[in-house]
Order: sequence, then C-alpha cells, then structure tokens
Amino acid sequence: MAIEFRKNLALFRDVVSVEEAEPLLEWLQKKPAGRVDLADCTHLHAANLQVLMAACASVKAWPKDPFFADWLRAALLRPH
Amino acid sequence: MTPLLEQFLSEARDFLQGIGEKLMQLEKAPADAELMTELFRFVHTLKGNSGLFDFPEMTRVLHAGEDLMDAVRQGRVAYSQELADRLLDAMDFIGMLCDEIELNGAIGSAYAAESARLGASLRQLISVPGTAVEGVPLAVPSSTEQPIPTPAALPPLETLPEVVRMAAFRLAHEGEPLHWLTYTPEEGCFFSGDDPFFQARQTPGVLWGGVVAREAWPKLLEVDAYRCILDFHLLTTASRADLDEYYRYMPEQIRRVAIPALALVQPQGDPNGGPVYEDFVVEALDTLGRGDNGSLAHAARTMLELSNPDLWLASALRWLLLLLELEPDNHAAQGVVIESLRNLETIDWLAVTAMAPSVEDEPCTAAETRMSPVEMSPEEMSPEEQASLAALVATQRAILGLPIEAAWQMGRVRAVISTLSGCLRACQREDEIAGLEAASAAALDDASAAPLLDWLDRHFSTESVAPAPAAPEHKATEAAPVVVLPAEDTKSAGEGEGDVKFGRRAEDAFSGPKSLKVEQAKIDLLMNLIGEIVVAKNALPYLAGRAETVFGVRELSREIKAQYAVINRIAEEMQDAIMQVRMMPVSFVFQRFPRLVRDISRKLGKEVKLVLEGEETEADKNIIESLGDPLVHIVRNSLDHGFELPEVRRAAGKPSEGTLTIRATQESDRVVIEIQDDGKGIDPEVVKRKAYEKGLIDETTLERLSDQEAVNLVFAAGFSTAEVISDLSGRGVGMDVVRTAIEKVNGAIALDSEKGRGTRIRLSLPLSMAVTNVMIIESDGQIFGLPMDNVVETVRVARTDIRTIKRSMATVLRGRIVPLKSLNKLLGLATPPIANDQDELAVLVVRLGEESVGLLVDDFRETVDIILKPMTGVLAGLGCYSGSALMGDGSVLMVLNVKELM
Repeated sequence: MAIEFRKNLALFRDVVSVEEAEPLLEWLQKKPAGRVDLADCTHLHAANLQVLMAACASVKAWPKDPFFADWLRAALLRPH
Repeated sequence: MTPLLEQFLSEARDFLQGIGEKLMQLEKAPADAELMTELFRFVHTLKGNSGLFDFPEMTRVLHAGEDLMDAVRQGRVAYSQELADRLLDAMDFIGMLCDEIELNGAIGSAYAAESARLGASLRQLISVPGTAVEGVPLAVPSSTEQPIPTPAALPPLETLPEVVRMAAFRLAHEGEPLHWLTYTPEEGCFFSGDDPFFQARQTPGVLWGGVVAREAWPKLLEVDAYRCILDFHLLTTASRADLDEYYRYMPEQIRRVAIPALALVQPQGDPNGGPVYEDFVVEALDTLGRGDNGSLAHAARTMLELSNPDLWLASALRWLLLLLELEPDNHAAQGVVIESLRNLETIDWLAVTAMAPSVEDEPCTAAETRMSPVEMSPEEMSPEEQASLAALVATQRAILGLPIEAAWQMGRVRAVISTLSGCLRACQREDEIAGLEAASAAALDDASAAPLLDWLDRHFSTESVAPAPAAPEHKATEAAPVVVLPAEDTKSAGEGEGDVKFGRRAEDAFSGPKSLKVEQAKIDLLMNLIGEIVVAKNALPYLAGRAETVFGVRELSREIKAQYAVINRIAEEMQDAIMQVRMMPVSFVFQRFPRLVRDISRKLGKEVKLVLEGEETEADKNIIESLGDPLVHIVRNSLDHGFELPEVRRAAGKPSEGTLTIRATQESDRVVIEIQDDGKGIDPEVVKRKAYEKGLIDETTLERLSDQEAVNLVFAAGFSTAEVISDLSGRGVGMDVVRTAIEKVNGAIALDSEKGRGTRIRLSLPLSMAVTNVMIIESDGQIFGLPMDNVVETVRVARTDIRTIKRSMATVLRGRIVPLKSLNKLLGLATPPIANDQDELAVLVVRLGEESVGLLVDDFRETVDIILKPMTGVLAGLGCYSGSALMGDGSVLMVLNVKELM
C-alpha cells in the first residue's frame, strides 16, 4: 500500500495508484478531520486527487518535488 | 517498415476496397442483412488490425465506424444514403492514412482533429433521434465542440500566481508560443486505465497547471471516487504541433487557446481600500507621454520600495517595470497598466486593444496585441494554412485585376466570389460573409471587379492575411513575418514543410498497390507453362541434330542451335522469375516460435531464451509450409527433453536460462535450418537401451552401434525416451514423423548431440521443388530417371569382381563392400543386365539413408533438369516412381523413387 493510514494522518508514499482511492475515500469519510502527509509522494492518481479535493482534506506536508507541490496547491488550496 | 506493418497495409487496402464495394451493393439492396453483417465484419477486422499498431487516429475512426455498423446491423439505426456517405468519407480518410504510413512510417499528429471529426460524425448517426445528441456540428473541427468563445472569453489568467505569469511573459518574449489548455477527461477514463493527472503533469512545456471540479462536489458520503469530474487547466509553452502530438489519443478532450502575451499582464493583490494613487498615476502618464522610460522606471521602482509587496499597487508596478524592460516602446500597454491603478479592476485587454488601434503599429508586439476574432478562435491557423490563405487571396486579387471585356468573363468573378466565401468559412469568419455577398451583388450588377477589390482590401488587408496569430511561434527564427507572398513562393514554402493533404478524396490520386495478391493456382499454372516451355525448348537440339544427320543441312542446324541458346536463356530467366514469386522468407514459420517457446517453457517451469537468426532467408512456399510442423515438433522435443530445469542447470554449472537457437542459412541451392539447444543432450546409452526394450534393435546391433548411430535411433518409428507421456511429447510419434515430412520435400535431417552439452538438428531442404536434376539411365531398353541427390557415383565393374554372398550380390569399391541390386529385378523385369564390350556392368551407386547401394543398369545417359510431375490417378499407387516428366523429344521419363524401390 502506498498510503499508510495512521490515527489521524494518511501518509502518502511514492506513487499512489488508482486502487488506493477507494480506501482513501472511506478513511476520509470516517475521519473528516484526517490530514494527509504528501512529503514522500511523487505522484498520485487523479482518482486520489479527486477524493482529496472532494473532502477538502487538509495537508500536513506538501510533496518535496516543487512542481508537483505547485500542482497540488493549485488544486487543493482553491476554495471549492 | 516491419513485415507485419506491410501486411497490415496490404490487407487494409483490401478491406477498404471491400467496404467500398459492400456499401455500393447496399445502396441497391439496403435491407440485405447478410451484406450488412459482412460489412460490419470488414470494419471490425480492420479496426482490430489497426489496434496492433500505434495509430490512434485510424483506430478511432474505425471504432466509430464499427459501432455505427453494429447499430445498423441490430436495426437500431436505419441504413441511409447519409450513412454511406459518411462511412465512405471515413474510409477515404483511412486510405489516406495508409498512404501516409507507407510514406512516412507513421501518422502525423495533424490528422488527429480530422480523425476526431470523422469519428464524431459517424457516432452522431448512432444516437437515437429524440434523445440528446452529444453531436457535433459537422463542418466544424472537433476542438470547437464548445461554442466558439467570444473574444471576451479569455481564460481566467488573473487567477494564476503573478510569478508564473511573469515567467510566462518573459518566455513569450523569447519567442515561445503560449497556450492555454483545457483538458476534460471522460468520466469513465479511470476504468480504461488512464491517469489524467499524470497525463496533464507530463504535458510538454507546462508552466502552470490547475485542477478544478466540473461540478459542485457532492457530500463526502456520496462521492464516487471512480467517476472523473476533474478538469485540468494548463499554461504551456509547447507549440500547437507538440500539444496535438501529446494529446493525440484524446483530441476531443482538449481545447487549446493561444494566449497573447499581454493578456498575462494582470495586477493582482490587496486593493487596500481603494484608488489613492491619483498623483502617481497622473505623473506617470505624463512621463510616459514624454517617452521618458528611464524616469518612469525610476519612479515606479521608488514607489515599489515604499509599498507593501502584497498590494495591488505593487503588483501593477512590477508589471509596469517588466513591460518597460521587455516592451519599452509599447506605451499604450504601459499606459493601460498605469490606468489600472485608478480603478483597481482587472484589465480587459480585448476592450483596450480594440479601443487603442495604435498598439497594432508596434512592429515587435503586433502579433501579441492584435486580437482579432480569428486569433482568439480556439483553432488558430497553422503556418501552412495561413500561407495557403495568403496565396489564395493574392490569386483572387490578381484575377480580379484582370480586365473584364466580355460578358463571359464575369464567370471569373463568380468563381472568385465562391472561393472567397469558402475561405471565410474555412477560417471561421462567417460573420463577414454578408459583407462579401453585398460586394458580390454590386460587382455582378456593375459587371466590374471594383467592389470586390474594395471588399478584399478592407477584409483581407495585407496585415490580417499576414501570419499574425502564429507569429509568436516563429518569431525566434524569422524577424519580420512575411506578408502576402507571391503565389509561387507560398506554394513552395507550403510544400517544403510537410503539407497535410486535408480533404483529399478517393478519386483525387490513385496510387496503385505495390503488391499483388495472386491465387496460388495462377502461379502454379505459370509454373506448369514454364515447365512446358523448358520441355519444348529442349526439343530444339534434337531438331538441330535431325537437320544435320537426316537432312544434311549443317547451316540450318547451326542456326537452330543459335536460336536455341537465346530461347534457353530467356526460359531460364523466366523460370527464375517465377520461382522468385513463390519465394517466402522463413520468418513466416519462425514468427510463431517466440510465443510457443514462451508458453511451453512457462508451463514446464524452464527458462529458455529463443534466438532466431536468418529469418530473411527465402525458399519456395511449399518448402516453407512443409517446414512448419516438423519445426514445431523439434522445438517441443527440445523444450521438453532437451532443456533441464533451472536448478539442474545451475547444479551442472550452466546458466539457469537455456538458449534455443533457430538459424536459417542458404547453402548454394539448399536452405539449411539448424535448431540448437544447450540442454542435456541425448545419452546414447539410454537411447540404445530404450530402442532394445521396444524391440527396435536386436542384441547384436545393440553392441555394434556407435554413439552417433545410437543417437540417430531417435528417428526410428515408435521411439520415445520420455518416461511419462505428457501433453507435449512422449507418445513415440515425433522424430520419425519429422524425418518423413522432411524427406517428403527432398530434404535431409541430421542430428548430433553431446551428452550434457546440447543437441543440434540440421535440416537441409531444397530451395525449390520445381526443378529436379535427374540422371537418365537405361535398362532393358527403357530409360529411367534418378534424382541426382541420390546418386553417389557411376562406375563400371567387371563381372569377375562381383561376388555372390548367399543370394545377394556385392562388390568391393575402394575397400568398402557395396551390395548390388539389379534394377531389372527390382522392377520385375526378367532380362539380366547387359554388359559392355569389356564385360563390365554399369553400376550406379546411390545413397540410401546412411548406406550406399549399387544398382546394376545397362547404361548411363546425361543428366537433365526436369519438372517433376507427381503420379496422379491410378498411377499414384505406384510407389516405386516418384513422378514423371516430359522429355524434349516428346517421350515420357519415369523417375524412380530409390527408397521405395528397395
């Protein structure tokens, strides 16, 4: 699994594939206050991105890759 | 170009032809379900085949066609003239793509839009009337599915961070094209394995990207993670061609708009209570009016230092400084930025530039600042299209310039009118057509070209025809964009950079197929005919002989011989040529092996690497075809018995992966195929024991057999070493079947094997079966042929040297005992062989497997090339003859089958 679910934090690692979107959504449904840590993430599938956007998930750490981080900031920091 | 692709192209053309024909037939009988099914099958197969290659443009259209045909087949859509037209259009397009592939090996990305349009036009027919049609106006390229944006609909650039926009602005000034791309993936795209986010991230030249939801997010509990409702927005410096190429699989999902650099100039930030900088604005405008850039920059910099960087003011000043740096002469734009400090509103560059035409005079920035509707249409024109348009307009102008002296010359004017209105439609300037029509009416009334020329000057002024929108792309290379070129020049320029043949139809250019598909029967007929020519030609030397001996005309005899030489040469060349037609590369047999080896080795848990060599070696079609099954047998045997399991191999000090090499080479007039493995080899002891157990050899043979001979026992019928019968091999029908099959086509098979090192099987086959070289012998007053392949030597043996051992004869030749057989006796003829004057008998030594046998005959004759015809009908049962042939003097030569004879 490229996502490690902790108590109130989901740790994203490397490339998060499309299969992870469902568990991620369930986790966020259970823990609306859950935060995500993207520091070690290099890419996440659009389905995951969509879930994060829908849940307005708060991000604890942005990816290290600045370009990737810019993409995510543009997507997640926008008011929905 | 790979053979597979060549085959695809040749087949595709056949299918296209077939589809065309079926459509024509359907027009006569629209209700014929069978025709319809056949048509569907054609389209379906063609689509499937195209999917093997990376031709999304082709597959997309065919897929739409397939869906449409399926709908028609099931009666959901009725067949109509319209349907046939569109399908034919689509097939013309496919044909064009085939040409393109043949020419360049690939399809240019420029076809993507056309492909999407055709696909959509086909799909439009599928949708049931009454329901909402996702359809597309046919004449409009697909990228404009959404209504053409009004000029005011510039993308929301002001939402981008200022840093990004400034960087983009600089890049635009360095000559980079700027595009705003909206990528709208399909809702179900996750299920087809797409990751639109990845696709968007990897877009070439991306400067900034944003993701927005297409609709408001539902409550979290109702979110469907796998229904994609994301839209991607990107600002990129990639050229139009690069973007088209990158998104070629989804041209209908993207929309790109060229961005004028100035549109990026948008101050943003905290307005801080309202416009309070009136003094600065007035002063700055004043400085600007004097053209004192230095002072203006200084003032702006001072003001910037004094203000909070987050303020709208600071942002506007930064832009002003950037403009002063990059476009020092564009006072109009600078003025607009300064003015924006007054109202603190987003700058509407479209309105501004419309009001300030002076901006257009700026030579450097003309391209960016001129925002005509043409430019803002999403499908901006490519340089080729612009060049063509310029050439067209120039030509029309020239035509209109011709004096009109007679009434019929008004036809020219009418032609010009229709051309111009076509041009307007093509560049989406439909709104100007009304003006054109008015001018046309005036021109026709007055019988003069003047009104039209006026209209041309107004609407196709040299400026608007100039490649304005594309200039950013080209600015780096060409300083001043070329304005209306003379027609010839533009034409050659257009041809220079790969012109795209849009709108080509089937009848425009007919390029005949380069390869013919011919039924084999026709080639066989040719083969027979050339055989007859060879026979007929061989009659000429007889004729020459008769002319000399019977009629005594030596002169004529010589002339006939000279003529014979000529005919002989032609016939031989012709024979060669026909043979070439029948030649096929061995790759036709080899190509199935990679898969076979992979599957079987997987199944057996072995690791085997297959190496194919000499795939291009050619041989006659029959030979190649007869090779298939034996080769499969051999390869299976080798995989099953030859290779060890990886752990066994490692224990034996060999790499765990075995190597199976199949190599084809040509050796003079034979093709040699070697199948070599580095497996465990054949153990002669095991083979001997097994053969003895199965009763194939007796005890004495068991002791006598050399290792090499023992190994060759695997070719004996009924032999098998495998302990267990698997579904692969071990049933005892194997190598003997292989040998029989190879021998049937006059081939030979040899096997050598070294225990522990591997096995090598060598197949040697004739290149062609058409011509057989035979030796003619005489016995009991008749002549017979014997294939030269069997003949070892011809000797004369004195009767005294023939010993009789028990009841069979033998002689000693060079220290070896050669058993002798009388041909007459073998053929059931009572007469004994005739000896010559020295009481010597003619012995023809022939090869029989590994042994040599001497045939007692009456006399030897010459060797000839003959076309061997197998025995047919009642005679087919006579095993002792392999066939017959016609001789030059009209007699029939029976060719003996030595093996059967014994």
